[in-house]
Amino acid sequence: MTREEITLKILDIFRREFEIVDPGFEDDLRETFGFDSVDAIELLLEIEKLLCLELTHEEKKMAMEIRNIRQIIDYVERMVKKRNL
Amino acid sequence: MTGRRVVITACSAITPIGHTRAEILESLRRGVSGVKPLREDHLLSQYIHSQVFGTVDYPIEYDFKRTYRKTMGPVAYYACQVAKEVLEQSGLTREFMTSGRLGVAFGSTHGSPTVQREIYKTFFGGSRHEFSAIGAVDYLKSMVHTTAVNITRMFGITGRVISSGTACTTSSQSIGYGYEMVKFGMQDAMLCGGADEYDTTTVAVFDNLLACSTAFNDRPQCTPRPFDVNRDGLVVGEGAGALLLEEYEQAKRRGAPILGEVIGFACNNNGGDLILPNLAGITETLRIGLREAALAADQVDFISAHATGTKMGDIIEAQAIHAVYGAGPFVTGLKGYMGHTMSTCGAIETILTLYMMQEGFIAPTLNLEEPDQRCAMIRHTRSLEQRQITTAAIQNFAFGGVNTSLLIKRFA
Repeated sequence: MTREEITLKILDIFRREFEIVDPGFEDDLRETFGFDSVDAIELLLEIEKLLCLELTHEEKKMAMEIRNIRQIIDYVERMVKKRNL
Repeated sequence: MTGRRVVITACSAITPIGHTRAEILESLRRGVSGVKPLREDHLLSQYIHSQVFGTVDYPIEYDFKRTYRKTMGPVAYYACQVAKEVLEQSGLTREFMTSGRLGVAFGSTHGSPTVQREIYKTFFGGSRHEFSAIGAVDYLKSMVHTTAVNITRMFGITGRVISSGTACTTSSQSIGYGYEMVKFGMQDAMLCGGADEYDTTTVAVFDNLLACSTAFNDRPQCTPRPFDVNRDGLVVGEGAGALLLEEYEQAKRRGAPILGEVIGFACNNNGGDLILPNLAGITETLRIGLREAALAADQVDFISAHATGTKMGDIIEAQAIHAVYGAGPFVTGLKGYMGHTMSTCGAIETILTLYMMQEGFIAPTLNLEEPDQRCAMIRHTRSLEQRQITTAAIQNFAFGGVNTSLLIKRFA
C-alpha cells in the first residue's frame, strides 16, 4: 500500500467514522475536532480492519502519542512496511 | 429531619402514551393505551408467551452530535433526550450546570441490552479476531450508569452522580436520593430520572416467572389490568422520564416556574425474599413516607400505585394502602395505560401525577372493569375525576425487595 493510498483510506475513515471532513494534516485532532481517547481506540480498530491485521499491545501504545493526521499516516505506513504489506 | 425545601422546576417523559405533555394528557383523558404487540427481535420474541409490550412507536427527532452519540446505546438516547428537554425547559445557565452545584441521579435496569447482546455474540463467536472487535465504546454504552454519565458528558454537569440500578425502583430512588441531596445541601439542584429501551430479555425473565400477561395477546390494549379480577400479569414497556429538582429559594430567586414540591421520600427493603411482595415491608415504606413528609394519612388525596397487574402484587399493595390510608385517597394504577416501564416507571408516574395535579383531574385505572374483591377495600379511581390533587404519594416496588414511596405536593 502506497502512502497516497494510505492517506486516502485514513481520510475516508475520518469522514465515515468520525464525521471529520478534510482535516488539515497538522491540525491537532483533540484541540480542533474534540478527538478523544475513545476515538483513538476506535481508530486503532479501524486501522486493524484496514490492514487486515492485529496490532500488538506495544504498537497500540506507540499510537497513543499521535496528535494529527500526518502522524497517523506515518504510523500506518510504518506498520505496512514492518509487515511487508 | 428538617432541611431545605425542594421543588420540581421542569420535567419531561418519553412514554408509550406520548412524548409531549399535551399528548400524554390527551391519552390519560381519553383512556388510550400504549400497549402494542411485542416487536420481533429475531432472538427471543417468538418464544415468549407474552406477546404484548408498552411501546414507544413514534419518531423522536434526535440532534445529538457524533461526539456524544459514540458512547450512547438506545437507552442513553432516551435518557439524554428527556434530560435535554428538561434542561431547556428549566432555563438553567451553562455556568450553573458546570458549577458542581447540579448533580445527576439517573439509572436504567441494565444499561443497554441491545449493545450487551452484540458483546455476547462476540464472546460466543469464540475467535480472537472477533474478540478484538469489541468496541472501546461498548462498555460505555452498556454499563449500568450509562444514562447518568452520558447526560453529564453532554451537558458538562460536574456535580454528584448517583446511578441506582434497582430495577423497578431505579428512578423513584433517583428522585428520592436527588431530593435528599438538595434537601440536605449537598447539591442545589439534581437532574433525576430513568430510562429503559426496548428489550425482550426483561420480558423473558418475567414470562418464565409466570408474571407476564398472556391472555390478551390478541387485544394488547386490554392489558395490564391493575386490581381487576381478570388481571393476568404485567406488561413490560419502554420509555424515559426526567425531572429537575431544585432548592426552593434558588428557584424562586431566578423566577423558575414551580411545578410541584417534593415533601417526603421513603425507601426500605423487605429483608428477605427477592421476588415476592411483602406486606409488612411495603406497609412500613408507606408509613415512613408519611412520617418523612410530616403528613397525616388523611392529608394525601391521591396515590399512584405501583400496581403492575400481577395476581399477588396488587393484592398486597391494596392491603398496604388500606392499612395506612384506609379508603380515603383516590388510587390509580397508571401502568394500565403503558405497562411497566421498568426502571423508568417511578419517574414517569411522578411526571404523570404532576401533570394531573396541574390540570385538576385524576385519570382512572385503565382496564379496571371489575375490582378483585381482595383489592376492593381501597378507593379506586374508576372514571375520570375532575378534582384537584393537593398531595400525592407515588409508590414503587422492585425485585430485590426494594420499596419506595415519594410524596409530592401541589405548589400553590
